[in-house]
Amino acid sequence: MSVTPDLLPATAEIFVLIMTCIILVVDTFTPEKYRASSYILTQGTLLGALLITIGLYTEQSIVTFHNTFILDPLASMLKGIIYIVVFAVLIYSKHFLQQHKMFKGEYFVLMLASVLGMMVMVSAYSFVTLYLGLELLSLSLYAMIAMQDQAKSAPEAAMKYFVLGAMASGLLLYGMSMIYGATGTLHLAEIQTNILDKFETHSLLLSFGLVFIIVAVAFKLGAVPFHMWVPDVYHGAPTAVTIFIGSAPKIAAFAMLFRLLVDGLESLHTSWQDILIILAILSMAVGNIIAIAQTNIKRMLAYSTVAHVGFILLGILSVSQSGYSASMFYTITYTIMAVGGFGMVLLLSHKGFDAERISDFKGLSTRAPWFAVMMMIFMFSMAGVPPFLGFWAKLLVLKAVVVEADMVWLAAIAVFFSIIGIFYYLRIIKFMFFDKAEDSEHLTITQGMAVTMSINGVVVLLLGLYPGILLTYCVQAITHVIQ
Amino acid sequence: MENNLVEQDMSIYLAIVLAPLMGAIIAGVFGRYISRTMAHQVTIVGVAISAALSLLVFKHFALEDMTTINETIYTWMVSDGLHLEVGFLIDKLTAMMMVVVTFVSLMVHIYTIGYMHDDSGYKRFFSYISLFTFSMLMLIMANNFVQLFFGWEAVGLVSYLLIGFWYTRETAIYANLKAFIVNRVGDFGFILGIALVAMTFNSLDYQDVFAASTLHTESTIALFPGTHWSTITVICLLLFIGAMAKSAQAPLHVWLPDSMEGPTPISALIHAATMVTAGIFMVARMSPLFELSPVALNFILLIGAVTAFFMGLLGIVQNDIKRVIAYSTLSQLGYMTVALGASAYAASIFHLMTHAFFKALLFLAAGSVIIAMHHEQDIRKMGGIRHYMPITWITFLLGTLALIGTPGFAGFFSKDSIIMAVHASQLPGANIAYLAILLGVFITAFYSFRLYFLVFHGQPRMDHHTKADLHETPKVVTVPLILLAIPSVLIGALFVADMVFGDFFGAAIMVLPEHDVLATLAKDYHGIIAMVLHSFKSLPFWLMLAGIMSAWYLYMVNPSLPEKLSQRLLIIHKVLLNKYYFDDINSTVFAGGARQLGTFLSRFGDTQVIDGWFVNGSAKLVAWFSSIIRHIQSGYLYHYAFAMMLGLATLLVLLLTTVISH
Amino acid sequence: MLTLTHFLVLAGLLMSIGLAGIFINRKNIIILLMCVELILLAVNLNFIAFSHYLGNVEGQIFVFFILTVAAAEAAIGLAILVVLFRRRQSINVDELDSLKG
Repeated sequence: MSVTPDLLPATAEIFVLIMTCIILVVDTFTPEKYRASSYILTQGTLLGALLITIGLYTEQSIVTFHNTFILDPLASMLKGIIYIVVFAVLIYSKHFLQQHKMFKGEYFVLMLASVLGMMVMVSAYSFVTLYLGLELLSLSLYAMIAMQDQAKSAPEAAMKYFVLGAMASGLLLYGMSMIYGATGTLHLAEIQTNILDKFETHSLLLSFGLVFIIVAVAFKLGAVPFHMWVPDVYHGAPTAVTIFIGSAPKIAAFAMLFRLLVDGLESLHTSWQDILIILAILSMAVGNIIAIAQTNIKRMLAYSTVAHVGFILLGILSVSQSGYSASMFYTITYTIMAVGGFGMVLLLSHKGFDAERISDFKGLSTRAPWFAVMMMIFMFSMAGVPPFLGFWAKLLVLKAVVVEADMVWLAAIAVFFSIIGIFYYLRIIKFMFFDKAEDSEHLTITQGMAVTMSINGVVVLLLGLYPGILLTYCVQAITHVIQ
Repeated sequence: MENNLVEQDMSIYLAIVLAPLMGAIIAGVFGRYISRTMAHQVTIVGVAISAALSLLVFKHFALEDMTTINETIYTWMVSDGLHLEVGFLIDKLTAMMMVVVTFVSLMVHIYTIGYMHDDSGYKRFFSYISLFTFSMLMLIMANNFVQLFFGWEAVGLVSYLLIGFWYTRETAIYANLKAFIVNRVGDFGFILGIALVAMTFNSLDYQDVFAASTLHTESTIALFPGTHWSTITVICLLLFIGAMAKSAQAPLHVWLPDSMEGPTPISALIHAATMVTAGIFMVARMSPLFELSPVALNFILLIGAVTAFFMGLLGIVQNDIKRVIAYSTLSQLGYMTVALGASAYAASIFHLMTHAFFKALLFLAAGSVIIAMHHEQDIRKMGGIRHYMPITWITFLLGTLALIGTPGFAGFFSKDSIIMAVHASQLPGANIAYLAILLGVFITAFYSFRLYFLVFHGQPRMDHHTKADLHETPKVVTVPLILLAIPSVLIGALFVADMVFGDFFGAAIMVLPEHDVLATLAKDYHGIIAMVLHSFKSLPFWLMLAGIMSAWYLYMVNPSLPEKLSQRLLIIHKVLLNKYYFDDINSTVFAGGARQLGTFLSRFGDTQVIDGWFVNGSAKLVAWFSSIIRHIQSGYLYHYAFAMMLGLATLLVLLLTTVISH
Repeated sequence: MLTLTHFLVLAGLLMSIGLAGIFINRKNIIILLMCVELILLAVNLNFIAFSHYLGNVEGQIFVFFILTVAAAEAAIGLAILVVLFRRRQSINVDELDSLKG
């Protein structure tokens, strides 16, 4: 093993890190009126990272940094989507940031740091890197939430998230230490090979570790009963941060779930399958039911996230290649829809007014018909109405549950709760198209926002018509890892 | 190389379909941003592209003998072996239909510029008719049942929009509702038929179904427990129910005369030339299925005969210029259906084509008269118009001569073929059908010339104001008339040899040897001239002449006689005027009964049980439940942490107990 | 003689105290931060114990990383605490309940 590691696979991470430092320095010396330069640099960094990741794309798995870092199609694809999503998030939130005095260099630096954290998580091939990535992501998020110092609820949200998040990472580490004790290694690949021999002698230790790890991952994803932070944080955080927390980190959390349970501990699947079934059912039930009672759109979307997480878990727990790819497809799909949905909240906000109540969507079809249609697409898609993207995501996951795991009853439960869920999505559509507007203020929609929103909506529609495009990539990426 | 060729071809077909759609979208969705001229330019260009390419495709098939193209271009989903996809099946049958549809549509588009000139819904109208063209093309070019159904429904939808185009008129609303409901009845059968196809063949692709059709001739289905029905027969009958509604066959014909509430261009486009032919086309396309079921063929034959005869009779008593033509359409559709029943698919399709041209011509010419008459449609208030509108007069006369089957004109070749084919048919009902369509020839000639004489000859009966203003309509109206008059006269003579007696359609239409009446006729076919000459010695010709003469006598020589006759034959006249009481029966028995049942179900079943208990009840329950359990989210950090601990502990206990027990 | 079990039990106890502290304490947020530190220390103890008995050095390396991250975490936690205090003039856990439902 050579002392200097092969840096090439981590070029994108290194690039983002360097750019983060550069932005930090440049921002310090930029006068206030040129503040947009940091914004542009950040977007440039994301695009640059995207190009690098595409350039480095290989069909093989390249392992470096003493087996702690992996570059495979799964990692490349998830990273690519993270960049694109964050790119869109920034465009959506620019206006909001400017109005809430958050359009500062620190914000962009923190954002890039969390992107870096996500990238490391996605590429992690050992407990150490996974943990470091997770912490980098989480710590940046805590700070971003607390940044808006005028808001009353933001510090509260940050504090809650921080305490619970720190506790969850404590649990994760505790679980990791158990697995380490049982297998004698921190590397996912070695764990997978060692675990088969140790299963008989160390089953208690392994099970102990497994539960703790699952709890931590469930926390990060927001699965019931570890979801309590989700609504409060989504609600309390400034909307520009909410859209960020609600989108890209879900992809990183999926990567974490996949790397830990499938890449590392797949041999224990008989144990984790049952746990995930419980979590999935609870998530779909609690998420969909409580969402109905919400009056705040951010809170409602938070509960809808919880319900969607239930579906993501369904794919994983079917323990099959098609289930994993369905789950991945679902995660990506959800992220695209969530960005659009939260983007609409930002779009409706204007100076001194955050369009956070669901009733703020009333009469949108007369105020901004095009965007009302876009929101309708997102809502239909989240509800799982064909032919939109969300329908395919649900269908694929359910198919995996029925065909691969042979659990028709579970699929029936999932469908039942989805039907309950349709109610609150349709209510928004009803508000937009059939109710009179309460807010008559003219909407200021920047061009970038309008274009991005349109692309976002059209993507949801087009990918719904051609789901094969995205699905093929998901299947390829997963197949590669499984082999 | 060959692949390349196919690639290129597929893009042609895509362009044919998409050009009208683009026009429709631009004129419809972005209508606000473009001028009226832009709207008609865009749509006309779209349809013109489509028409030109269709001609090109037709040329490939007719002259260069291109092989059948069957290509799927987009797969939406695959569910349990069933493919839901978009694809094209292009053969000579399709190619011919494409030309007819796009050509007539193009003429109607141009004509509309003049007819709808002052209408405030100008752009909307263009958008609709382009959308209609798109839907119809999707229907005829489909290579699978799903797409067929899509086109079928889309055509129905657009016709609904167009019949109710003047949506402020109550009669128009009533008419489009009627069309919609009657078509739903047919669609019900149609979709059941498709479902049965999917069940039996486990595929919705034409080719798979046709290839496997002979394997299922013996299979039966128990519609009611203990009975055995031939599956193929049931499929054919169900599909034909769909065709009955769309092609306005008795008793599902009631919507077509009322649909004349729409503007005249769509009467020509939809209710004469294209949409109503969808049913005929569908049966011809499904010939490999229908051929296997003599029961279904016989049923078709009889339905067609009934329609051809009885609907023609109704044309005699109508006084609305468009309604007379509408009833003649019904009767002619009956002829086509009869031909389908007699397995003379080629003759049926041939009549469909000739009819499309001369019927579009008649409607547009009638529309021209209506424009000149300031939207007066009552023929009792017309008369002598030939002096004022020479072009309209001549073209209308040509259309009428084609319609009644004057030897040499387009209608003659197609209608005579049908009559001969039915005569030669061996089906049990063929004799009755033969009689019905023979008498139909007389009736057709009679009402057509009644209309012609009343409108164009005799004393002008309109008021002075209108009369002073009578003049020929503008070029955008007359040019399509002239362009349509040409095929109305010539197209029969040009194609009869190939299409009816030759093997033009090839594999596109399948006929069992024992049913092949056209092949028997072909032995006696010795060219166009011989056919024309032979007709002078045959019964239809003299019946037709008799029809013209009676019309001439009753309405030109002795105009007071019809009034006396109608009083003498009061009962018959009343029955005819009331259209055999179909509408009354429908509205009292079916609609009335359905309404009463509906009111009951809505008051009790829906409002109280379903809405009250199930829907609102469960919604309330969930909402109540939701408002209760949201309090779990107390806001206190230590509760959240406690919930996590509790979850952790539960999972630990759960897993450890199973591990230890092992 | 100290066995691995002794260490694991001790770490488990520390862990439990830390976790219990988070949901039993209803007064001061600073105590929550201390509990988080306690949890991390329990984990560290676990890693070192395993590392020692397995004769594998990786666990100890991980502990260095955890210590570093814990320091950063404490910094962020205190920073949020300051912001919270400025806004509310209180660091009472019981008053942290405006977001709920």
